[in-house]
Amino acid sequence: MNREIAIYIQKNIDKILERWKAKMEDDQDDRFFQIMSDQVIDTTVREFGELMVSSLTASEETYDEKLKDFSVQIVRYGWSITFVLRALNNFSEVIYEEMEEEGSLNESNYKSFREVLTNWITPLNQSVVDAYSKVWEKTVNLQKIALQELSASLIPVFDKISVMPLVGTIDTERAKLIMENLLQGVVKHRAEVVLLDITGVPVVDTMVAHHIIQAADAVRLVGAKCMLVGIRPEIAQTIVTLGINLTDFTTTSTLQRGMEQALALTNRAIVEVNVK
Amino acid sequence: MNLRSSVDIITEWDIVAARQLGRNEAKDVGFGTVDQARITTAISELARNIYLYAGKGNIEIKQIAEGNLKGLQVIASDKGPGIADVRKVMEDGFTTSGGLGAGLPGVKRLMDDFKIETVFGEGTVISATKWLR
Amino acid sequence: MMTRIPILKLRECLIVSIQWELDDQTALAFQEDLLAKLHTTAARGVVLDLTPIDFIDSFIAKVLGDVINMSGLMGAKVVITGIQPAVAITLIELGIRLENVVTALDLENGLEKLERELED
Ligand SMILES: Nc1ncnc2c1ncn2[C@@H]1O[C@H](COP(=O)(O)OP(=O)(O)OP(=O)(O)O)[C@@H](O)[C@H]1O
Ligand SMILES: [Mg+2]
Repeated sequence: MNREIAIYIQKNIDKILERWKAKMEDDQDDRFFQIMSDQVIDTTVREFGELMVSSLTASEETYDEKLKDFSVQIVRYGWSITFVLRALNNFSEVIYEEMEEEGSLNESNYKSFREVLTNWITPLNQSVVDAYSKVWEKTVNLQKIALQELSASLIPVFDKISVMPLVGTIDTERAKLIMENLLQGVVKHRAEVVLLDITGVPVVDTMVAHHIIQAADAVRLVGAKCMLVGIRPEIAQTIVTLGINLTDFTTTSTLQRGMEQALALTNRAIVEVNVK
Repeated sequence: MNLRSSVDIITEWDIVAARQLGRNEAKDVGFGTVDQARITTAISELARNIYLYAGKGNIEIKQIAEGNLKGLQVIASDKGPGIADVRKVMEDGFTTSGGLGAGLPGVKRLMDDFKIETVFGEGTVISATKWLR
Repeated sequence: MMTRIPILKLRECLIVSIQWELDDQTALAFQEDLLAKLHTTAARGVVLDLTPIDFIDSFIAKVLGDVINMSGLMGAKVVITGIQPAVAITLIELGIRLENVVTALDLENGLEKLERELED
């Protein structure tokens, strides 16, 4: 039966693809058919048809591999997963409709025909979903790592003074990482004052403020002082509007001002030298 | 994977034994120093609560896996008096013993998952899990 | 079975370095020993070095807080030194801020800070 269907598809591939395409074009959700040139669509559709056939005719031994190749290829098209799943189902539906119209289905072969279709499409669906979730997982992990790399290392600037510039959105997980880096850096560089620079943090809500307060508290426990610098006007506004209490901390608008205060705290100052 | 080990909490020294076991298990799972400290501290809080409020009980420490996540689960169980008002004991600063009242709400913050099952007059089971990231 | 924590005297200060994991009895015994020593030596400051300690739970935190307050009543300032990053983070997450405690990175810094505080 597999072979029969495969031969049937190969023979009628143009008709099937045409009909399948029409079905897919009705689908307004995915923009593939709207934004791609006709030529790209044609080659992709043809390729898709061949992939489908080859997955149907694979022998027992090569089946798993073919299946994997198939989903890897599909993922490469960049279609949305709903679109792909619909494409697979539509494809089998079209075949069914075509064969029925043509009269090659009858009561005696109907059941085994259905079986073949199910045994063919279900693993394809499964394999495509697996492939997609693998890609997503990878993307999420990469983004996580990228975000972690963004986050925060402590830069020793002067003896006893270090700066940690924070860039980007801060979520709970990142806040924990920042706190660890901050404290480990303080101990490692023997910093007595650390300047936490939030110039690059877009939003300071209660959650972020809470994490910053905790970080400053923890810094105090290991024996250093934490100052918050780079407070932009809109951040100052949100902090006060939200009723966040930062009065326990030293805060300044710019890193420069903060640095001057840090130097003063460690009994130093920057002086101009006149050289003739 | 389902490795478990447990310590009966009967004397004050068993609190020390439980947290040492916890630290070793945490290392074994691959937790970093900060998470090791979180787990050890959580175990210490739960074990001391058993000792103080239930008299005796048990701390069980399980290495667990869910999908490709690994973690460590701590289960503190006792047949003590139970907790009448669970919401209240989860408030920061609530204590019936002149402690800081930091224990239970603290454990919840230190760990990732936290659950209390208690029947007043029959006992308490608290389970807390930390996942390896 | 119980270990006692050694308390050293340096000029006007007492120096305590806690070397082992604190069990409850040792912590309580330490509280008594320190207060007794403050009484006999009339020391004006204490440096409490916690560098080797790898966790502090709410009980030990309470003992430490109490020791600091009691020492204050006896006219001695306490500086805590060497709290490890992991310990600081767990303390904060427990909700224990040790608010009015003076801290320093290590013993040396701690002694300096104490001397400065005693001068004022
Ligand atoms: N296993 C238990 N059985 C019965 N009651 C308990 C148990 N654990 C905690 N409790 C009750 O919950 C209260 C809060 O516990 P929690 O650990 O948060 O604070 P604490 O032990 O009083 O002080 P701390 O832990 O800060 O030293 C306790 O005072 C006690 O009344
Ligand atoms: Mg407690």
